[in-house]
Amino acid sequence: MQRDTPPISPAELEAANVGLRRENAAREHAEGDLGTSEEKYRLLVDTASDAIVSIDDQGSIMFANPAIATVFGYDPAELTGKPLTLLMPEHMRKLHESGFTRYLATGQRHINWQGTELTALRKNGEEFPVEISFGELTRDGRKMFTGFLRDISKRKQAEKALRAAMDERTRISAFREEIGVALSHQEDLRGILRNCAAAMVRHLDAAFARIWTLSGDGRELELQASAGMYTHLDGPHSRIPVGQHKIGLIAQERKPHLTNDTQNDPRVSDKDWARREKMVSFAGYPLVLEDRLVGVLAMFSQKPLTESTLDALSFAAEMIAQGVERRRAEEALRRSEAFLAEGQRLGQIGSYSWRVATDTIEWSNELYRIYEFEIGVPVTPELIRSRVHPQDLSLYEKMVEKARIGGEDLEWQFRLLMPDHSIKYMHAVAQATRDQNGQLEYIAVIQDVTERRLSEEALDKSRSELAQMSKLTSLGEMAASIAHEVNQPLTAVTNNGNACLRLLANHNLEPDVLRRALGEIVADGTRASAVIARIRAFIKKGPVEKSALDVNEVIQEVLVLAGRELYENQISVERQLTASLPLVSADRVQLQQVLLNLVMNSIEALSAVTGRPRLLRMQSRIDESGDVLVAVSDSGAGFGSEMDRVFTPFFTTKANGMGMGLSISRSLIESHGGRLWAAPNSPHGAVFSFTLPATPGSPS
Amino acid sequence: MTAAPIVTGAPTVFVVDDDPSVRSSLKFLLSTVGLHAEGFDSADAFLHKKLPDAPSCLVLDVRLPGLSGLDFQRELAARNIRIPIIFLTGHGDIPMSVRAMKAGAVEFLTKPFRDQDLLDAVRVALERDRTRREQERELMTLRQRYGALTSREKEVISMVAAGMLNKQIADRLGTAESTVKVQRSRAMEKMHAESLVDLLKMIEKLQDPSERTR
Repeated sequence: MQRDTPPISPAELEAANVGLRRENAAREHAEGDLGTSEEKYRLLVDTASDAIVSIDDQGSIMFANPAIATVFGYDPAELTGKPLTLLMPEHMRKLHESGFTRYLATGQRHINWQGTELTALRKNGEEFPVEISFGELTRDGRKMFTGFLRDISKRKQAEKALRAAMDERTRISAFREEIGVALSHQEDLRGILRNCAAAMVRHLDAAFARIWTLSGDGRELELQASAGMYTHLDGPHSRIPVGQHKIGLIAQERKPHLTNDTQNDPRVSDKDWARREKMVSFAGYPLVLEDRLVGVLAMFSQKPLTESTLDALSFAAEMIAQGVERRRAEEALRRSEAFLAEGQRLGQIGSYSWRVATDTIEWSNELYRIYEFEIGVPVTPELIRSRVHPQDLSLYEKMVEKARIGGEDLEWQFRLLMPDHSIKYMHAVAQATRDQNGQLEYIAVIQDVTERRLSEEALDKSRSELAQMSKLTSLGEMAASIAHEVNQPLTAVTNNGNACLRLLANHNLEPDVLRRALGEIVADGTRASAVIARIRAFIKKGPVEKSALDVNEVIQEVLVLAGRELYENQISVERQLTASLPLVSADRVQLQQVLLNLVMNSIEALSAVTGRPRLLRMQSRIDESGDVLVAVSDSGAGFGSEMDRVFTPFFTTKANGMGMGLSISRSLIESHGGRLWAAPNSPHGAVFSFTLPATPGSPS
Repeated sequence: MTAAPIVTGAPTVFVVDDDPSVRSSLKFLLSTVGLHAEGFDSADAFLHKKLPDAPSCLVLDVRLPGLSGLDFQRELAARNIRIPIIFLTGHGDIPMSVRAMKAGAVEFLTKPFRDQDLLDAVRVALERDRTRREQERELMTLRQRYGALTSREKEVISMVAAGMLNKQIADRLGTAESTVKVQRSRAMEKMHAESLVDLLKMIEKLQDPSERTR
């Protein structure tokens, strides 16, 4: 795009005119002096840049100054005696002749003699505008006329360009105004963009104009508006992937694409169409706002693009980008309001406003749901009060009182007592505001934190339990990991032994075979006892921290730990604990492990009991030898004939048992210098008892 | 029907256990009842073994390094290796054994187990495998014989199976009843069917092979 003439400002033009007038004045002054200073006159005429021509009363040229050569292309000498009409275009000549004749006859001027603009003819046939001023002189009774002819073609051009520029400026400002109006309308986005595209057609000579916006995922441009030759929004241009075709490339590059030569532009794909429709130019601008692409606007035109059109387009692109973004933001706001309502529902968060002076209270729907009132019933302080937990009423009143006088932000927690006697935990945050009349108003959010509260409580509880349990279960874990190790050699021993027995039964006695099998049996037996030895060593080596303990305390702790199991299995616990027992010197965790193991065994045995009470009895006392004795007895099935095997490693009567607990428990008690044994309970179940030596000097 | 000749090698028990002494003791125990056993220390090692064309079963420790016993069972099923499995476990729990049995295990034994329990389970497993192999072989023979029928013969016997009389078949096919009779007896001959009931049983087996093999 280029510009033929530099724009001329009105100020420049005015300056040029002032100069011209000053020159004319000087010239008139010189004419007055003519008679007195022939030489001065000659100098003026010879050096003037304007053509000066004198004619006689016949219209023949008497004299032409040297400037005639530059202005008209004639040699001054060659014009002498020629009619003045030679310097005029054909259509002017008649007019001149009749006017000239009339003037000579009547003295009536048909044109203004000072600064008249006429068309002149150069020697090469070119017509050009001149400004003519002429004067009349009578010499020797004959009239002669001298004219000053100034080539004003440059000025004319400048004026024309200026006028065009002025026109364009009007157009562009109309365009800008229209874009501004379109964007401020409360229409939907499509309507706004349609008006913008229409303005491009109306004011920017667009054959048609289109505007796309970027899709939500940022991958496509969606056609929102089309004005001019084409107005449909469907078809191949309705969705354009970013990065494809000229429109998608503009989006991707975020740079305008401009051409005044559609036929040779590589990005114009349908050249035949462009030729047929006489599309000369194309302009496409990305709609970008703060580095974010919003869309693309583009137009085809049958006229070349001018600088000001481009200025206007780039202005429009910026404005439209802002407009689109604002629309989006508004929509997002509307959506987020909807989200807020949804969020309140999901988060069980209610909100309310309270005008203190009038006690006007407005609740959000979710708050109605939380308080379990029918949505829409008028909310009064009394209504709210009716739900507050009696124990929190005084706190509630205090908060209300504080709020009435205070005007400061408040945060508090309270409980609701629902009609079904369930309790809800609430967390409220209220912000004090003043309305335009200075009236105090609270805006508050209230969250139902019941679930969180309950799960926190449960979490706290299980956390402390877990800390205990992890110490205790390491016993079971160890048992599990060694069970496999012990089981393998035992299995091999059994297999080999059985195989030998079979061979013996069949009298199939090959000494080599038997010797090898027996050798393996011995090796696997040794291996198994080595594993057991490792367990014992592990138990002895464990970090033992003996301290003086009250056995009753440990019993209570273990009952707490087993509390859930006891409750779930509906087992009643009977405590027969002797007060003021002597302390024992023991590792608290190991003692807990043993007791928990015994209690868990009993629970498991009791869980199968039906038809009689499930009873667990915990006893503590001093035995005959002065040791502290603890007994755990249950009303379970007991162990019948297998009584003597219960302390064997891996003996178990339980489906899920490892069979390690009792043997390890016995090892632990023995390592404390005590004993652990089992006996049948009467009439049902089993009693497990252990003793621990009393610490000398402790109360008894 | 005439049974196809049974070409099978000696039955084999595959023992998969990572403990060498358990493996060798199992092999020894099995040898006392005349069973051939092969040991593998992992599921992977077993999977690389080409299985013989003989009744076989798998004695498998649940707790194996790498692929666990239950995963291995699933893997075999996925590869369509339908070998009966006896699980051994050091500390089997009930849910685990239920899972294994549901997936088609023959037995689930807790170590150390009674020798008779294992030997019984192995016997059951080998018998099951033998039956399956026979059925598969039988079905294969049937398929071959059926494949040798002309399409008209196949048509005729399928109509016979559907309960149609010779005359009805002739009407349907637009031929003479005597032709149908010939085609029918030729088909029975080719299928080695001794009676109509025999033929119907064969067709039933051919139609639903999954019913016949386990």
